[in-house]
Amino acid sequence: MPTDINQDEVLAVYPKVAETMADALGCTVEQLVLDVPLIEGLDAESIDFLDIIFRLERAFKIKIPRGKIVEDARGDLSEAEFEHKGYLTDAGLQRLRDYLSEVPANRFQSPMKVADIPRLFTVETFCRVVVRARRASAVAQ
Amino acid sequence: MEHFAAFSFVDRITELTPGTSVRGVFAVPAALPDFSAGLVAEAIGQLAAWAAMAQAEFRKRPVAALAADIRIIGEAAPGCRLDLGAEIDGGDRDTVLYGGWAQVGDARVMEMRQCLGPMLPMDDFDDPAAVRRHFETLRAAGARPGRFGGVAEPEIDIFERSAGQRLRATLRVPESAPFFADHFPRRPVYPATLLLDAETRLAAVLAQQVLHGPAKVHRVTGVKLRSFVVPGQVLEIGADTLSHASGSVRLGVTATAEGKRVATARVEMVAS
Repeated sequence: MPTDINQDEVLAVYPKVAETMADALGCTVEQLVLDVPLIEGLDAESIDFLDIIFRLERAFKIKIPRGKIVEDARGDLSEAEFEHKGYLTDAGLQRLRDYLSEVPANRFQSPMKVADIPRLFTVETFCRVVVRARRASAVAQ
Repeated sequence: MEHFAAFSFVDRITELTPGTSVRGVFAVPAALPDFSAGLVAEAIGQLAAWAAMAQAEFRKRPVAALAADIRIIGEAAPGCRLDLGAEIDGGDRDTVLYGGWAQVGDARVMEMRQCLGPMLPMDDFDDPAAVRRHFETLRAAGARPGRFGGVAEPEIDIFERSAGQRLRATLRVPESAPFFADHFPRRPVYPATLLLDAETRLAAVLAQQVLHGPAKVHRVTGVKLRSFVVPGQVLEIGADTLSHASGSVRLGVTATAEGKRVATARVEMVAS
């Protein structure tokens, strides 16, 4: 599932996303460069991801279902095709690489635990979540 | 200590529209010295939790995690009857999103907006059958009022002061307390609302320095609980002045354990 989000769309939402994430993470906007990994780089935890999604929903007036990133990455693969015993299958890993195209290839491990997917998330990941949610909202209207 | 007594703040659920809204009541025992804002927030949260647990067929229960905005409008004096309401604003099978309020008579004492709690396996915290039975009691005749016997305020030892700017203190969570039997029987957790009460007490000390007089909490925003606090845990709690204007001050409050952030929030205090 290659993404067709272009960099202009990402940069258009980036300032507000960074401001929102800075509030959630208790860091400065300057620390939130697009490619910073949120867990390794800024000590983000799972509750922070919930908080970020929650705040982005309010800031952009969009709806982002919990687990949306993994669900979208899985696309039309069945759960069994995507993961097995908590690890991504080869097909699942490829889908994830395609979906999180902003993440450098060397950060994807093989084998990779599903629970470790959030380790890949960057600021740009959430910019793209917002772009997708705004598109979905526009279509729904 | 009896389950559903030591730290339970809903006496009866008077209305329930599954997945949408819930109403309830709690009689604040007259013998208590006071009933803190944290306990009012706990009552609202517990009412929302009952609705969420019923919706989840008592297989999951929510735990406190995020609260975007808590407005403290008035006080719940001992002896009063708290009318409680919560609207379930959304969420999914893994989270509950709600807002709620408490009032005494016609007067609102608290409003909570955009609160979110992860739904975790009930089995880890409590006996699902016992929780379901108590829910049925609350939906019928209600539980016996006056069960809550109060909570001892934990001691806060201030060890660092920067006048008007910053305070740091040690908060020793008790090894044992009656409320741990209720919160929760299978996994004792220090209630986030008691932690918030302790943090606002510290914030009030700092606010008093800034405002040159007594201060009371007016609003708490951006509450985030990062991990459970367990019996016997020693926390460092802190309050920092963020900004102040005539008659009010905004403070950041934190709780850390071994250098790791446990809870954060912003508190607005006003001269009282």
